[in-house]
Amino acid sequence: MDRRKFLVTSTAAAAALSLPTLAKASGGIDIFGLKSVSGNFASYGKFANQGSEMAVEAAGSVIGKALNYRLLDSEGNAGKAVRKIKEAIEKDNARFFNGATLSSTGLAVGKEVANVGGVFTTPVGADEVTGSECNRSTFRWSTPTFGAVEQTLRPLLELDPSIKSAYTITPQYVFGEALLTNTKNVLADKGVEHVGNSYHSLSEKEFSGYITNAAAAKPDLLVLLNFGGQSSTSLRQAMNFGLKNKMKILVVWSAGLDQYKSLGSDILENVYLGAQYWHEVQNPGNARFVELCRNKYGVNPVYPMAGDYIGTKIIIDAIEKAGSDDPAAVISAMEGMTYEGLTGEETIRAFDHQAIKDYYLLKGKAKSAMSDEDNFVDVISSGKSFPDENASLCKMS
Amino acid sequence: MSLELKHCPILIAIALAAFLVLPSISLATEVLIFAIIALGCSILLGYAGLLSFGQAIFFGLGAYVASLSQIHLGVNFLVGLLIATAAGAIVAALVGALAIRRQGIYFVMLTLAFTQLAFFISYTLDEWTGGDNGLLDVPRNSVNIFGYEIAIDSSEKFYAFVAISFVLIFLALLRITHSQFGRTLLAIKQNEERATALGYSVKWYKVLAFVFSGSITAYAGGMYALFLNFAPLSNVELIMSEHILIMAIIGGTGNVYGAVLGSLFLVVVGDMLSAFWERWLFMLGGILILTVFYMRGGLISGLYGVFEFLSQKLGSASTQKES
Repeated sequence: MDRRKFLVTSTAAAAALSLPTLAKASGGIDIFGLKSVSGNFASYGKFANQGSEMAVEAAGSVIGKALNYRLLDSEGNAGKAVRKIKEAIEKDNARFFNGATLSSTGLAVGKEVANVGGVFTTPVGADEVTGSECNRSTFRWSTPTFGAVEQTLRPLLELDPSIKSAYTITPQYVFGEALLTNTKNVLADKGVEHVGNSYHSLSEKEFSGYITNAAAAKPDLLVLLNFGGQSSTSLRQAMNFGLKNKMKILVVWSAGLDQYKSLGSDILENVYLGAQYWHEVQNPGNARFVELCRNKYGVNPVYPMAGDYIGTKIIIDAIEKAGSDDPAAVISAMEGMTYEGLTGEETIRAFDHQAIKDYYLLKGKAKSAMSDEDNFVDVISSGKSFPDENASLCKMS
Repeated sequence: MSLELKHCPILIAIALAAFLVLPSISLATEVLIFAIIALGCSILLGYAGLLSFGQAIFFGLGAYVASLSQIHLGVNFLVGLLIATAAGAIVAALVGALAIRRQGIYFVMLTLAFTQLAFFISYTLDEWTGGDNGLLDVPRNSVNIFGYEIAIDSSEKFYAFVAISFVLIFLALLRITHSQFGRTLLAIKQNEERATALGYSVKWYKVLAFVFSGSITAYAGGMYALFLNFAPLSNVELIMSEHILIMAIIGGTGNVYGAVLGSLFLVVVGDMLSAFWERWLFMLGGILILTVFYMRGGLISGLYGVFEFLSQKLGSASTQKES
């Protein structure tokens, strides 16, 4: 490439690349939604984005300033997500963030936002977010693995004392291990024998080997500790092998309505499911959210919508409470804040920034018993279980 | 004019243009880092004719080694990057020496297998790599030279460091590709049997190509981890190898500037389009197909074609005016 060619190219490139920056000026308060709207987790990101959009639209303005919602596409890649967060911080002086699909993204973004003293709310699953890797800027809405097991397995064992043995199927990585440890603790506490466990990789798609191992162990209860597509596939294959007639099945960490729609009531009937959110729960905060969602999209809300709606709303509520959009004041307002959440009254703990909210034990119902096309389950029980301050690994810096 | 004198101003201008024109410094930083990575891939594919899905191994390895050496050994960022480069060279020599024992589809399958192996090793050694959560809190330890503290603690300073690395690596690679070694690699790519008959140790040249490619990619991987202060597991995923290959192919593998175009296209266009169109990867697939069918030399060859067409038009217009 000679100099003349280079000059022509660089001038053309400069003109083309400068165009998008012209349209990005905004007033008011910007809330940045980090969503995986393209890439491997696009289906999750689409709903999560709708949730944040609804929260910002519903509020419109706060402390007399217009609210603007800005989407950052993480492309389902933690590296891209961190780079885009850096870019938003340096270019737009961004300070308020919500979202992340992957735990790795949530953890790394939390660190980046903390470097500039911003505010980041996330629904990711990694317990480290409000545990060993907690920081002043990061707040987490979803119940940790401890609460998920405590609010599903324990009430189920109390509900059905005939369960004397259990078999677990676990994805072999940090999240799965955390669920397994908590499961073993509850089983030991309730005097139920843990007759075996099958580990599988995060990329596993074929579960028949693990299902036959579980069948051979003849437990009273099969506990599935995987999630998303893997829990759907393993549940389907457990059905195919006839396990539902031989034992009770519990999916500790199900994805909610979206997953239930893909599975259908034939598979879900009589299966016990743990969930972070269920749209039929009666409380003022959820009633308002469900109505918003039905009016805007004509559907009942799914979990990604709920998680990112409430995460965004928490930031807006905290700005209101602080009477300021100074991130430090907003963080102080969020610590200990009690608000009308989607699971009832929710509180954010000051020492680890974990939202204290209900987790649900649901039970799949027969198609004939469904009152509408989304009425897949009954709520069996709900409650709040969180490790206390002494047991927490969070050392807030 | 020497090769370096001819290309150095162009490379500096590219680095300056990226800084001044792109919407943010962080985007410009990512473009230059991925240009270096695509260049590493071009050596294998464009010069040695080796279609390898193993680039993620060196990219991820560089990120982990540069990070861990700073965290646990307390070395400065430059030493960290040099250790990462050396590790990349050693592992590339091993992977290359084994993979080139087979040709064609079997070579490709071996590189795929090595990438999967590297992924699961990284995933399993979570105490070192952070596993699925990634390695967090990667520092950028400053360098102390004769009492002078050199830190890359701001995005501007870090960009300057990346830009210097970009210029030096591209100049070094230009020197290598224009040397007898580079010409021999091209000869091997065009006709391996003839190169063997002429007495060249084809295997040795291929392993060396792997070593150059692996060390450059590991260096860039290390810079990427320093840039993000984070080394995600996705660096070692197969999809990262695919991403790097697509970047190199779309940009053009037979020309070092193709790597810049490939990186610019994938990083910047992806960044702009993903905000408006969630299915933008669909378009990327279409462009890759079009490139393979109609523009085998990549975007860089298309760009040269446009320049030649314009030069001819301008030339004929000025001739008519004079007459």
